[in-house]
Order: sequence, then structure tokens, then C-alpha cells
Amino acid sequence: MAEEYDRHGRLAVSLASFYGGKLEIIPKIPVRSLEDFSVWYTPGVAAVCRAIKEKPELSLHYTGRWNTIAVVTNGTRVLGLGNIGPEAALPVMEGKSLIFKYLGGVDAFPLCINADTPEKFVEVVKALEPGLGGVNLEDISSPDCFKILDALRESMEIPVWHDDQLGTASVTLAALINSLKIVGKKMDAVRIVLLGAGAANIATARLLEKAGADLGKILLVDSRGILHAERYDMDELMLRNPWKYELGLRTNRDRVEGGLPEALKGADVLIAASQPGPGVVRKEWVRGMAEDPIVFLLANPVPEMWPSEAKEAGARIVATGRSDFPNQVNNSLIFPAVFRGALDVRARRISDGMVLAASNALADYVAPERLSEEYIIPTMDDWEVYVFVAAAVAEQACREGLARNPLSYDEAFVRARKTIERSRKILHSLMAEKIIKPIPKVD
Amino acid sequence: MGKPSFRPAKPSDMDRLVDLNVRLKRLNEEFDPLLKIREDIAEVSRKYLSDAMNSPNSLVVVAEDDGKVVGFIKADIRERLFYKPKMEGNIVEFYLLPEYRRKGIGAAFLDYAIDLLRQRAEIITAEFPSLNEIAVEFYTRLRFRGIISIYARES
Repeated sequence: MAEEYDRHGRLAVSLASFYGGKLEIIPKIPVRSLEDFSVWYTPGVAAVCRAIKEKPELSLHYTGRWNTIAVVTNGTRVLGLGNIGPEAALPVMEGKSLIFKYLGGVDAFPLCINADTPEKFVEVVKALEPGLGGVNLEDISSPDCFKILDALRESMEIPVWHDDQLGTASVTLAALINSLKIVGKKMDAVRIVLLGAGAANIATARLLEKAGADLGKILLVDSRGILHAERYDMDELMLRNPWKYELGLRTNRDRVEGGLPEALKGADVLIAASQPGPGVVRKEWVRGMAEDPIVFLLANPVPEMWPSEAKEAGARIVATGRSDFPNQVNNSLIFPAVFRGALDVRARRISDGMVLAASNALADYVAPERLSEEYIIPTMDDWEVYVFVAAAVAEQACREGLARNPLSYDEAFVRARKTIERSRKILHSLMAEKIIKPIPKVD
Repeated sequence: MGKPSFRPAKPSDMDRLVDLNVRLKRLNEEFDPLLKIREDIAEVSRKYLSDAMNSPNSLVVVAEDDGKVVGFIKADIRERLFYKPKMEGNIVEFYLLPEYRRKGIGAAFLDYAIDLLRQRAEIITAEFPSLNEIAVEFYTRLRFRGIISIYARES
């Protein structure tokens, strides 16, 4: 597998140089002659400006703002690479923007900024609001990412999303909803253990509560063991990571102490988003779980334990973050669709209710007759799933009064389908015309 | 979690008081490198609290919930040599476990300690690390104000 990674890496470097990045801006209006510019640009454009000046919300109608988001990072926590800085983060942001466009039809700008404090980050992103329809925060270190997301969500009138928190939480929830259907257990009755207390699992805990899980029965385990209200580092957390502190106060009602083995005794679900394995989770610990264990091993590139080991230890359902095993818990199933839906109704924000709607739609997309231990969540190949999730998100935004441009479910569905289809068609036709050059042979 | 009651500390509270005092000092450690705790903090805390419990000029009171000590206050009565009014009740340690915070319990506990101190002191003062904004906010809300500052440098 290491070889596989090397091969992908070598190819990525040579193609990065061959294509000079992954995105460019292409006009979407006809230019028949230079005369057209007097409409698209001055003097004609001034009339559009005046209309927007009268009614600023028209900028979401008369310009590409409605479909334009920024993928913003300061490069402080990129993939598994750590704090590599904004320049080095750009290839990842370009990749993310590509996925936004291809799977969601969203025009996403990769923006890497010099902002090493949360305050500066918030100031820069807030200043960009007039030109944007939404913001996707990416690869920012924890706990700064919580502070930044909360501050921007509160102060901006466009959707703000941090994929490492909300995307991961939402897709994890979808996978859990379907797993519980298979084992016949209820969300409010299960004991869930979260291994790892980074951005992903803290957001997952928050979302699980909104989805009806009993937070008092959830155990959060980090490198210092099981978190509880009297753990010796709670005061430190109060000052440095209030989000984790809050969970320390509200999870683990029974004050279970110890580490992962103690936490897993009698637990129904393990959601591990900690550090690359194998060997982080051991077979004997999974054996100590309740009947029909559900085990999510989300660390990349190597899950906390190999799925085969989890199965041998009695796990009924196993999911990972990887595409080469069944049940890939993958953010890319969620974020393009969430933005598609939110942008189509010109939503003012992405509420927790909209995130839940996305999880439920993603889970429901798996028809009962297809649902099995090896298929709890759709794959990215299934592009129609994005349309269903987008429509559900749009519908929920309207229900909560967050839509500037309310649509019915069917209208949102049709619009999302058209936009996503168009985006794929453009790319495919550029490829067919060889305007996008075929991938060269690389050795 | 119930509503804690308040009472003077007893010798049998000692182990728990030591633990809470260490937690308090560990919290202080977060505010300044010059508040880094010593290795022997547990032993020193035990002696310090035991001396205070046996001194006529100190007060140690605890908050108790369901038979468990969940917080404590330690204060000293002292004479102000140069200023009026003369007698001061100085709160030097105040700690409440996290889950008892933000519920008005701290303010009620402080009231309880102040009532006891008032029997001998005319003014009440409190000490805490300068950068502890939570304490600043707490005492300011209860109409305290800063009157003396302690500044430090390494050498």
C-alpha cells in the first residue's frame, strides 16, 4: 500500500506541473463580438450596479455570487501533514474546489490566507462576504477552528461550513443511522464511544445529540483516557478548549474512568477518529462491546484497526475512511450537496437542522433492500445521491425560514440536478474537445 | 447533581481539600509561567490547609453535595496596618468543581463565606492571578474592584 501512495504521489507532482493547477475561470455568457462587452461590461453593467445598490440582495441574483463560495484555509492542519502553511495547502484547496464543482456544481475559489490567529482569520473572511455566496473552512487547527466557525456563523449572512467538523459529523451520523437500522437499536438508547477528541469527533458528539442520542451515555476518549467532569485537566480545557470542556461536563453521566478498553465494555458503537493504526484499537476491546457492535475506524491513511480484525473480534458493521474497504465514511458525500441545496435557495446560513436533513437524506438514499452490513452508505460513484441530499437541505432551509429564495422540494431537486449535470457535462465536453488535454503517460 | 450545602471544613475533608487545592493551583498555572506548581504541592497543601483549619485567624469552608466535597474557600483575617477600615477578610483560595460552575453556586458560596468573615472583618478582599479573566468577571459582577496589583519579573 505504501507503494500505491508513492505512485499516486509521483503522478500528482508531475501532473500538477503539466496542468499548472486544477482550476481556471471560464465565462458562462456568449461573446459574439467585442460589442457584447458594452453589455457585459461598461457602460451597460452600470445599470446592474445601480440596481444592486438599491437592493444589495440582488447581488445574489444578478451576479455569480449565488453560486460562488471560498474554500479558505490558513494551512495550520492540512490532511495528516500538520501545519504546513498556506502556500503548501493550496493543492488541497484546489482539489476540494474541484470536488465542489464536479459533484455539486459549486464554483469554489481556493483561498489560502496568512492568518495565524483566529481573530485575524475571522476578520479576513468577514471582509470577503460581499462577493461570496458561502464559505467552506478547511484544514484549520483545533481548537481555533471551533472559535472561527462559531464567530463566522454568528456574524455572516451567508452559509459558513467547516468540513472537518460538520462534514465529517454529518456523514458519520448518516452511516450510524443506517447501522442502527440493521442491528435494530435506537439512537437514544445506544452507548456510543468516541475515540479521539479533535474537530471531527467534537462536532460528531454535538450533532449526535441533535439527532437524538443521549449525550450522558456518550463517552469521549482521548490520549488522556475517558473524559469526565472531574478529570484533572478539565480546568485547562475550560481555558483552552471550551468546546471539549462542555462535552466533559455533559457526556459520561456515570463517570466511567479509565481508557478505551474500559470505555468499550458494553458499548454499542465505537466511532474512532483518532490516529492512524493499525493497533490503536485492539480485538480484545471490541470483544468486550455489547451485542452487534458497530465500529467506525475513520483514521487515514490506515484505520485504527484493520476491518478484518474488527470483524474477527465480532464487529457486526465496520466502516472506514477508505474507498478500498466497504462502507467508506467520506465527507465528499456531503459537502457538495449541502452547498448545492443551501446556495439554490440563497440560504442565510447552514443550520444544525439542515445538517441533520443532509444526514437523513444520505442515509435514506440507501433503499431498505440494498441496506446490508457491507453497504450502509452510498459511494461517490452514485452521483444522484447529491441531488437528493441537496433537495433535502434546501427544503429544510425553507422550513426554518432561512431561505431568501424559497423553493419546493421538487423545484430544488430539479434545479440541483440540472446544475450538477451541467457541471459534469462542461468538463466532459472540454475533455472530448481536448481543450482539457488527456493525462500524459508518466513513468 | 444536587444543590450543594455549605459548612466549615472538618479534618475528615482533608484528602479531598488537598485534591481541590492542587486543582486550583494547576488552574493558576495556566495563567503565568511564574505560577508553575512545585513537585511537592500535595504535601505543602496538606500542611497549609491543616494550619489554616487550626488557626483562629483563618477560615476554611466547603461546599458539599451528596456527601462529597465539591468546592472550598480559604480566607485569612488580617489587620491593615496603615489603612482604614482596619480589619480585612482576605479570600486567598476559592475553587469549585467544573460542573458546579455557571449556576449561581459560586456566588452563594462566596456569600456564605463573607457572612462568616463579616463577624470580624470590615472589608472583604480576594486574590487571584491577574490574567484569570473569569475571576475578574466574577468578582466585578459581585461589586468587587481592584485596589492593589502585584507585578512580577523573573529576576
